[in-house]
Amino acid sequence: MPSSEFAVQTLYSNHHSWLNTWLRSRLGNAADAADLAQDTFVRLLQKTERLELKAPRAFLRTIARGLVIDHWRREEIERAYLESIAHLPEALAPSAEDRALVLELLEAVARLLDGLKPKVRKAFLLAQCDGLTYKQIALQMDVSLRSVERYVAEALYHCYVLRYEA
Amino acid sequence: MTPVDNMARSGPDPQVVKQAINWMLRLRNNRANLRLQTQCEHWREAHHEHELAWQRVQALQHELNSQLSAIPGAHMALENSAQRLGRRQALKVLSGVVLMGSAAWVSRDLTGWQRWTSDLATATGERRSVQLPDGTRLQLNTDSAVNLDFNAQQRLITLVRGEILVTCSTEVSAPLLVRTREGLFEGIDGRFVVRQDSDCTRLSVATGNVAIHSPHTADGLSTQVHAGESYLVRQTEAVLAPPSDMDVGAWADGLIVTRNMRLADFLAEVGRYRHGYLGCAADIADLRLSGVFRLQDTEKLLAILPQTLPVRLHYRTRWWVSLERQV
Repeated sequence: MPSSEFAVQTLYSNHHSWLNTWLRSRLGNAADAADLAQDTFVRLLQKTERLELKAPRAFLRTIARGLVIDHWRREEIERAYLESIAHLPEALAPSAEDRALVLELLEAVARLLDGLKPKVRKAFLLAQCDGLTYKQIALQMDVSLRSVERYVAEALYHCYVLRYEA
Repeated sequence: MTPVDNMARSGPDPQVVKQAINWMLRLRNNRANLRLQTQCEHWREAHHEHELAWQRVQALQHELNSQLSAIPGAHMALENSAQRLGRRQALKVLSGVVLMGSAAWVSRDLTGWQRWTSDLATATGERRSVQLPDGTRLQLNTDSAVNLDFNAQQRLITLVRGEILVTCSTEVSAPLLVRTREGLFEGIDGRFVVRQDSDCTRLSVATGNVAIHSPHTADGLSTQVHAGESYLVRQTEAVLAPPSDMDVGAWADGLIVTRNMRLADFLAEVGRYRHGYLGCAADIADLRLSGVFRLQDTEKLLAILPQTLPVRLHYRTRWWVSLERQV
């Protein structure tokens, strides 16, 4: 047995039930917790170069915390998207397949926007999604034109870094 | 550093990327300005990093713009989900602290506490029961939050949102108070439920007695509420509520118990325990429902409905369920 596989097994048997409990306390749901505990170890396996861990729990928790946030983000995106199209008549509502594609896309964008300040996010979305001019955005947000430019530039830079340098 | 090393690094310098972004935004707002265009071209030609940054920024902008402007509802979905995600993360940090703190105080005996504060919260679909240091039992329904401040003068429970069931401990003399947006209540003895609705507070006493101190009566007195009574409380007045079509506090046993309840009201109630959309067509909203339903698994609960009512479930996704008339 390669040593990395052994290391994962040891890690798994020592920490799986603790991790499961930790995830459950965050998610409040046993089935999701079991799924994410599994995913956490899969992620770990993909990082085989770093298995001699000094603080395995801290490391597992870091991975798991990221997965929990991904999970919540997916839930919130789906919920918010369904709400945003709820008023559409059945004929105009996107098909199940379209919805799945859109959700995937929105999730990717949401991940890019993570960590932006609310005002920066708002200015950026008004520009990108709604195609408003900076003047219109400045009016709507009640800030100066210069601020709008700064917000949009900041958001684009943030996305650039995540896209090309992460 | 040789040019090759430079390329092997992750890409253009951050300052160059920011310049590229500024050029792009300036041009977008001044499309007709030829001089600006020429200046931008000079800037791009000045260094290969400038051109690379320019190309990447253009590609990113084009990608975001073409994708997002084509999706109706994208803005609202991204904005709302980002806000909720932020709240959820903040909330979980708080409840993490509570869990650690609770181990410390649960073991302490009644005389051990002098002053004690804490916050408790439940997620959607979660219910929780805790024994407070004075012996009072506090049960939180789905999506609920309380702040607790106990000291020698008073035991104050502030209901921030959701619904609680309080079983009073009378072993301590400091008054047991519950505060909501609309009112202030004192649990004298027994069990009572306080629910924060969007526009009012509903107080229901199961056993024992509760006093409504605020809002007070026209004579400036507290209203005494006895077992079996419910009050609707707004900023200015507390009025006796009509009999409920649902057993108050049954949720503490994991149940919804209804008597002749409108389907639309029933679904609104069940919706508190799940994420996503749950609703029904207008032509079946007034169908009536009586029964005992388990909250443990709302999917199963919904699956039962077509057996008792002429309705069918329409699942668009796991989080989108609407009920329609069965044909």
